[in-house]
Formats: sequence, C-alpha cells, structure tokens
Amino acid sequence: MNGVPVRDPAVVWRDEPAQKDAILRAQAAGEPADDLGWVLLVVRGEMHELNLVAGEIWCLCDGVRDLDAVARELARRYDAPLDEIRRDVDAFVAEAVDQGWLRLQSGGTG
Amino acid sequence: MELSAPLTVNWTLSYRCNFDCRHCYSRGYSRPELPLADLLRIVDDLASNRVAFVNFGGGEPLLDERLWPVARAAAERGLRVSLNSNGWLLDADAARRLAEVPLASVGISLDGADPAVHDRFRSRPGSFGRAVAALDHLAAAGVPATVSTVIFRGNVGQYRRIVELAAAHGAGTVYLHNFKCSGRGKDNRAELDLDPDGWRAFYEDALAYRAGAPATLAFDDPILALLGAAGPGAVKGSTCGKLSLHLEPDGVATPCGFIPVEAGDVLRDGVATVWADSPVLRKMRQKTPTGKCRSCASLDACLGGCTARAFAATGSFDAPDPHCWAPGDDPPA
Repeated sequence: MNGVPVRDPAVVWRDEPAQKDAILRAQAAGEPADDLGWVLLVVRGEMHELNLVAGEIWCLCDGVRDLDAVARELARRYDAPLDEIRRDVDAFVAEAVDQGWLRLQSGGTG
Repeated sequence: MELSAPLTVNWTLSYRCNFDCRHCYSRGYSRPELPLADLLRIVDDLASNRVAFVNFGGGEPLLDERLWPVARAAAERGLRVSLNSNGWLLDADAARRLAEVPLASVGISLDGADPAVHDRFRSRPGSFGRAVAALDHLAAAGVPATVSTVIFRGNVGQYRRIVELAAAHGAGTVYLHNFKCSGRGKDNRAELDLDPDGWRAFYEDALAYRAGAPATLAFDDPILALLGAAGPGAVKGSTCGKLSLHLEPDGVATPCGFIPVEAGDVLRDGVATVWADSPVLRKMRQKTPTGKCRSCASLDACLGGCTARAFAATGSFDAPDPHCWAPGDDPPA
C-alpha cells in the first residue's frame, strides 16, 4: 500500500498537546497508555479519540506526505524501527480509509 | 480526554424572541448585550483556542442584526457555524444570506407533525407553516438543514410523522431533544413532560425506528446509555462543560443554556482560562453520585444522566436525572 493519505474535509479534528505529554509521561512511568487519546475527531456527529500512535499518524497525513514519508518521520521522532512503524501506519490508514476519514491518492513526496 | 478548550460553543447573542413557547428555558431571561466589537473579540478568542463549532441560539438569532457579522467572522476564522431558529423570519432572502456566510447547517424547530400540535406548543398561530416554509427556503438556497424537535407528551405519539415531514422538506438530520424541565419547562412540566417509563418507551421505539428512518436521527440524552445506545467515542454523561460551553449575551459562560450558573467571563478572561479554571465546570466534570445513582450498575455509563435536568429539578448537579427509569436501591446517606 502506498499513496498520499488525504483527510476528508468533513472530519473536524483537534489535537491536544497537553494530553499527548500526559501519555508520554505515563509511558515513561511504565503505566498503560494505549487507550489514552490526544487527537479528537468529530465525524458525522460522532467523536473518536486517537491514541498516541494513531494521533501522530493522523497529524502527519497532511495531504503532501505519502505513506513512506509518514512512516519515516514517525520512526525518526520515536527512534523506532521503520518496518515496525510502517506496519502501524498501514494498519491505521487502512482503518481510516475504511471509515471514510482518509482517502489515498497517488503521488506524494516518496 | 480533558480538552484545552470547548469543542463547541453554544452562543446566545440575545434573549430577544418573537415566540412565547410553553417549554422555553429562557423566556423572561434578560442580560446586557455586548457591542459588536466585543463579540468579534470573542470570535477571535474562540478561533485562537481552536473551538471547532459555534451554534447560535437564544432567543431567536434572526432577530439580531449582529448575527451576520459575528457569524461571518466565525466562518472566516474556520469555525463551523450553525444556528437554531423557529423559522418565522427565515424567508428566501434570509436563506440566501445564510448561504453566503456560509452556515454549516441551520436547525429549524418543528415540534409537531401538524399545525395543531406545533402552533399550540409554540403559542404562535401560523408557526408550523412558517417552519416548514423555512426548510424549503433553506433547501432552495443550498443550506444544509436540520430539524430540532423537543419531545413532549403532545408530540411523542407523532414523532415519526415529524421525521417524515422533516425529511420530505430536505432536513438531513432530526434532533429528537429530550425535554428539559428548566424555565417554563419546569412551570409546565406536569403537563408536558413524560414520566421515566414514558421516556424509556420513546427511546426504545426511536432506536428501533432509527435504522429505517428517512433522516438521520440524533439524540442528545445521556440517559440513552441505559439502553446501551451510546455512540462510539461518545463522551459519557452530559457533554456540557466537557465538550461544550454556553455563552450568555454579556460574555459570561454557563455550562449549558439550561443551567443558569455562571462559570466565568469569557470576554474578560478568555475561553481557555474559564474552561480550565472554573470550579463550576470542574464540578460538572466530576459529579459525586447521590441517591439511587450511588448503587446503580449503569452509573459508569451514564454518569448520572442529564445534569441540567437534575439541577433544574433539585438544585444539585449530583442528583439523579429525573427522567431516569433505572430502579436503583437509594441506599442511606
């Protein structure tokens, strides 16, 4: 899977940096944080919270970066193995496309 | 998730109204109104703090000429702007102006499937016809329309016909609002409000109807958690003070329009400060269950139900929702 993920303009969203910091602090303390959200999406009146990784991917889906570029940037930020991050990116984007939050278009930065 | 600012602001620019509805929470309210420059400062503040939605209510928003520059400023700053109207003044010209703002959606109050029910509830002969005509004007102007219906004893038996009528006139969503026993709603509660079993029966029927309804049905009642009907990602309990905030005409914030308890001055202190620091809002977010809620198995899902109804009925945010049909054990204090 590749292409440029583009957000549906009908999806209203907001990131909450203070909540992201709280998640990072929880992780550093060894506390469970997978279910904690920091990006809020409002889709057709329903709210969805994205956790740390999903929120990062969503924010990087700027309509310019393709999936490779999203994964590279995320791997750089978290000093994580690229192939592992790429699996996370593919899984989230597939789900988001399925939900109608994102669509994939050809092209991008590579 | 605790937000840095409300996601939605429900904004009463004025309490002036051309109707005299029997359930109105705010008829008789009066507060100083801000000059346009101050309203525009508030718009800047909301946009700077990334408030996503602003909905103008009241009062009848279309009576207030300040609506137009304020709505335009909000739309230009990227907010999704909507308003609720009784439709009386919403002619073809008003619909065109709303399209030009642009409004993300306009909600029209429709409380009956026929003039007899709607006009009596709204205490204004001819209001049913004007509301339906307003939907037609919005459709012609290309403005997404919704319908707001307050469920009460007089229309609960015909709500499906209201939905069908709304859809036939272009409304994509029908909000089936729970009755709030605030203001006149409290004065007329014995005549208008359903009892808890009546609410349960209504919601069970509406949830069964929803999948095949000709318009999207939306509910704003946290008590639906009792039926396992909370949507994915929905905030538990009342959204007031957690996702949304109400602004009075003078810039004072309250948790919602139905809870006339001051939470801070947005014009003076800014929305983010009020949102973060208000003891009133903190109390909305951290209710202490009382009465039957304390032993109720559904508390985690509903968080005590609608705080506005509890407050209106008892004066306490923490009291059980008076619409709640869950039995509870009501243990001793």
